[in-house]
Amino acid sequence: MNYLQKMKGGGQSPPRVGLTEVLWSWIGSFTGLAAVSFIHYKLLDQTGLMLIIGSFGASAVLIYGAIRSPLAQPRNLLGGHVLSAIIGVTTFKLLGGQPWLAAAIAVSTSIAIMHLTGTLHPPGGATALIAVIGGESVHNLGYLYVLMPTALGAIVMLIIALIINNIPKNRKYPEFWF
Amino acid sequence: MKEPSEEAFNPVDISEQDVVEAMKRIAGYIDITPGDFKEVYQTAYSLAITRLLDSLTAGNIMSTPVSCVQQEMALVDAAHLLAEKQISGGPVVDRDGRVVGVVSEKDFLKEMGFGETPSFMQIATHCLNSKSCMIGRLRHRTVGDIMTRPPITADSAMTIGAISTLFAKRQINRLPIIDADGRPVGIVTRTDLAHSFHDLLARPKP
Repeated sequence: MNYLQKMKGGGQSPPRVGLTEVLWSWIGSFTGLAAVSFIHYKLLDQTGLMLIIGSFGASAVLIYGAIRSPLAQPRNLLGGHVLSAIIGVTTFKLLGGQPWLAAAIAVSTSIAIMHLTGTLHPPGGATALIAVIGGESVHNLGYLYVLMPTALGAIVMLIIALIINNIPKNRKYPEFWF
Repeated sequence: MKEPSEEAFNPVDISEQDVVEAMKRIAGYIDITPGDFKEVYQTAYSLAITRLLDSLTAGNIMSTPVSCVQQEMALVDAAHLLAEKQISGGPVVDRDGRVVGVVSEKDFLKEMGFGETPSFMQIATHCLNSKSCMIGRLRHRTVGDIMTRPPITADSAMTIGAISTLFAKRQINRLPIIDADGRPVGIVTRTDLAHSFHDLLARPKP
């Protein structure tokens, strides 16, 4: 297959899921996001701490909407976010003067590390990026960003996933832990 | 005899449509494209086939003890021996007990003048149409005169996959299994091979 032919695709998309799957995805993600954002806005608002970052929206797609995916398993959710957060903060500390470079290095390095550690979780790339482009409130956290919001927020989302995803008979989460 | 084509060993050809149908029956979003799944399935299937074909060896399936005929034995005596044992052929051994050839009904029929692919019906036709039977040609000859040689043999570690290939490619019906000194320890016939495949397929599903 030559270079240009590859761009044609030619495969097909997996089938669309049934309505019950849609409903449980909605219930899971609603509850998961409600939990982290309630703590964030109602309990932590005045403290300067945070529990929610944009990448959790992406994690919700996986851990409530594609729960069989290897990318959605606890190892990937926690490992991907935490490792990417460490890389993001470190990159900003080293290269913060050149934000364009720091942003690119943070995301690309976190993908490489997630691959190498078997923790690939697409939202991890966003977690690393947010550490660079997240503005003062994020930068002020320093390495606390790794624990909170990242690790703690991911744990709250994981607990909700365990509770909600195992309610329907034909749904099961996780496929594996580590 | 027709050799099994390569395609015969290819996995059951599932289509992407089959994969899509299966994915629809499984609740939840499965994030693999039907094309990728098909590729995984086909690769895994051929690995499983190889594992099955390698899981049994000649040593597991061969018939023992093996009835051998002596190289110097008169054909008449050899025929008597094969008839008594109710077998259609076997390894031929020299005085040291080493396999030096294989003799079967086919060799007898060839010697009688029925060509390279002799059959019973040829003999029946011939004997019904003429008064003399060609069986007379077998007198005063020994097994060593008519046996097929060099013998196709194998050691007991040969897998049933390799044996099947050998049977098909060399168009043979029996394979003497020999030890390091060339002495027969058993024989794998087409029947043994068929039984081994039957046993493989009859294994309980995990």
